[in-house]
Amino acid sequence: MRYDDGGTAAVTTLVMLPLLLIVLVGVLELGALRAIVYRATAAADLATIVAVSDQDQAELTRTGILRLAPDAADVARDYFARNLSATAPALAASPHEIAETADVASFPSAPTVDPRTGATYDRPTVRLIASVPVKTPAFALLLLPAVTTLTIRSASSPR
Amino acid sequence: MMSWRDDESGMATLETTLMIVILVPLLFAIIEFGWLTQRWLAQDGVAMQAARYAGELGGDRPELRVYVQEHLRLVGIEPSRVTVEVEPASVSWRQPVRVSLRTDEQIAVPFLFTTSVAMRSTAVARGEVNR
Repeated sequence: MRYDDGGTAAVTTLVMLPLLLIVLVGVLELGALRAIVYRATAAADLATIVAVSDQDQAELTRTGILRLAPDAADVARDYFARNLSATAPALAASPHEIAETADVASFPSAPTVDPRTGATYDRPTVRLIASVPVKTPAFALLLLPAVTTLTIRSASSPR
Repeated sequence: MMSWRDDESGMATLETTLMIVILVPLLFAIIEFGWLTQRWLAQDGVAMQAARYAGELGGDRPELRVYVQEHLRLVGIEPSRVTVEVEPASVSWRQPVRVSLRTDEQIAVPFLFTTSVAMRSTAVARGEVNR
């Protein structure tokens, strides 16, 4: 009797091809998700930096002390939404909705302990924690959630 | 005598040709898109830093242009290929300032396509100094 390898190759292809496609789709989506994590984190970092950098030079010259503006938390929220806009097409909610629901706290005096994170700040600080829902359509193809929620954290202090 | 049906010497060539036509574009697509994403994120980082610096300087100043060029070079992007826009050109205290960078990158995937992709990065900061 002669061996016929044709069937073995077909079975191997049938098993390996879907597996390879699943891995490829998963890797591509994870890569896209990593890029969005980077951009959203950068947006949060810039927002908190902008919020704590609000300083009046005349006041600084007079007292020598950097003070957070009373509206620092609102400024952080506003600039987080503005900087998140560049990523808007990939998000499952509008940048303004995400910024509105973000937990933004201003700690004008130092040292102080953040009740949410337990972190100790030795200078006035603005802290932002946001849940960012990201569309993950490729995950949906793999029967995983179509929206993945990322948690972004950022804290900045003036120097 | 062996009939032509039993001669499998051409099969390996055929399989190799088919695999090259599939695998080479796949490999180049992974490399090209990975490279593009890396450039894009690097450009994003420069835009963020530049926006903050623009807020500190008070808008579109020659120092800002030099800063952007230096940082683009540091991340491996040729500055002459990047369009930089700063709005508004002059920013006062607490006013938003937007820095946008745009680069047209070429992507070439063998057997499939060669195209130009516009990479845009935008960051918004605000005037930091009360002059």
